[in-house]
Amino acid sequence: MVEKDKVELLRDILFTDDRVFAEKIADRIKIIEKTVNEKDQLSEKVDPIITQRLNEFIADIPKTLGPTITLTLKEEIRKNKDDIVDALYPILGKMIKKYISQEMKILSEKINQKLSASRWKIKFKSWFTGVKEEEIILSELESASIEQVLLIERGSGILAASYTKSETIDEDMISGMLTAIKGFVEDAFGQKNQNLELIEYELYNIHLQSFVSYYVAVVISGNYSISAKDKVQDLIFDFYDDFMGKNLDSLFASEKESDKKIMDRETLEKELLVKFENASI
Amino acid sequence: MQVSKKIVVLGHFGVGKTSLIRRFVEDSFSDNYKVSIGVHITKKVVEVSPEEEVSLILWDLEGTDDLTTIRDAYLLGTHGVVFVFDVTRPSTFQALNADLDIVRSKISKTPLLVVGNKVDLVLKEDLETLFTKNNIETNFLTSAKTGNAVNDLFLHLAKLLH
Repeated sequence: MVEKDKVELLRDILFTDDRVFAEKIADRIKIIEKTVNEKDQLSEKVDPIITQRLNEFIADIPKTLGPTITLTLKEEIRKNKDDIVDALYPILGKMIKKYISQEMKILSEKINQKLSASRWKIKFKSWFTGVKEEEIILSELESASIEQVLLIERGSGILAASYTKSETIDEDMISGMLTAIKGFVEDAFGQKNQNLELIEYELYNIHLQSFVSYYVAVVISGNYSISAKDKVQDLIFDFYDDFMGKNLDSLFASEKESDKKIMDRETLEKELLVKFENASI
Repeated sequence: MQVSKKIVVLGHFGVGKTSLIRRFVEDSFSDNYKVSIGVHITKKVVEVSPEEEVSLILWDLEGTDDLTTIRDAYLLGTHGVVFVFDVTRPSTFQALNADLDIVRSKISKTPLLVVGNKVDLVLKEDLETLFTKNNIETNFLTSAKTGNAVNDLFLHLAKLLH
């Protein structure tokens, strides 16, 4: 064995582990270089992280950027009012035009129906009362209608009975809130023996008729004229007269205290239905 | 059979009246404090026996440090009262007995329950010392945050009234 071979043999013995290790590192570096330099490979690794960060960023926008965006928008609107009006004007104009034409179409259909159905009746009414035919037609088209009736215990606001045309939110809560509003207004003005009688609520009027132990709230849609109010009051008085009359009968009919019960909710609601379901006002 | 009862919940500012009601009705809690203005009305039906239910109409009155200013109109026809104080704020219970006298003068002969709220924030031993020191008697110790004793309070009241 020559001197050179001996040196090689010695190197093999001494450095085999290090060489294998160095080769492994070189392989890893190659893979990393490939991953970093080749777009597809890199995107496969990085995309999920970016997506996750992006989602977090989007979720945080209301918190982090929300106030700044609102402030900027307010500032921009304040500075450029005319530009904004110019931009919105055609859109709003179109919306209003569409709405009016739709309403006119409905009104025209209603007038046609009315004219064909009761032309002679209207003519006669106009001749007899001196009110123009078109005014009679318009007032009849907008006629008021009873949507809901609530019989409520004064003070506590507990609902005794109700009649409703369509589903509303919990009637017990409506009764409570009406009673609170009524109580607040009556209390605030400090006038004893005065009652809140009407709440106007955009398309609806809520007529409140107070009695000693109860009050009746009637929700009315349409044109709530003085004559409609008069009819509603008549209906309420009629109902209350019957209701109280029957209550008093049942109270005085029994001698035993335990038998003296006021009318149950079911009976009262039947009474309300009979009185108000087909009532025209 | 179901009967309806009007329950008024009152007390000083920020004692947790609205949170107690929200915990009872919706079983939820929020740390965001919003001052109640006027009155807010909610409802929950409680079963007091297999055949009997009580519909509790809960009137959540705005908090006030001067109980004489509570509007009488809100108290008319009340069937039950819940007076709430905050166990962490002495200002809400230092004059408790005087406050209760004012409430009783406004609504006499009506069942009244005294409730110490926010008990999750104090130690039980500290509470006992606090109550003895201030001569306070409570009916319920609740936490709207954890829900502790909230349902028991309203169920007890419903049974008392039906």
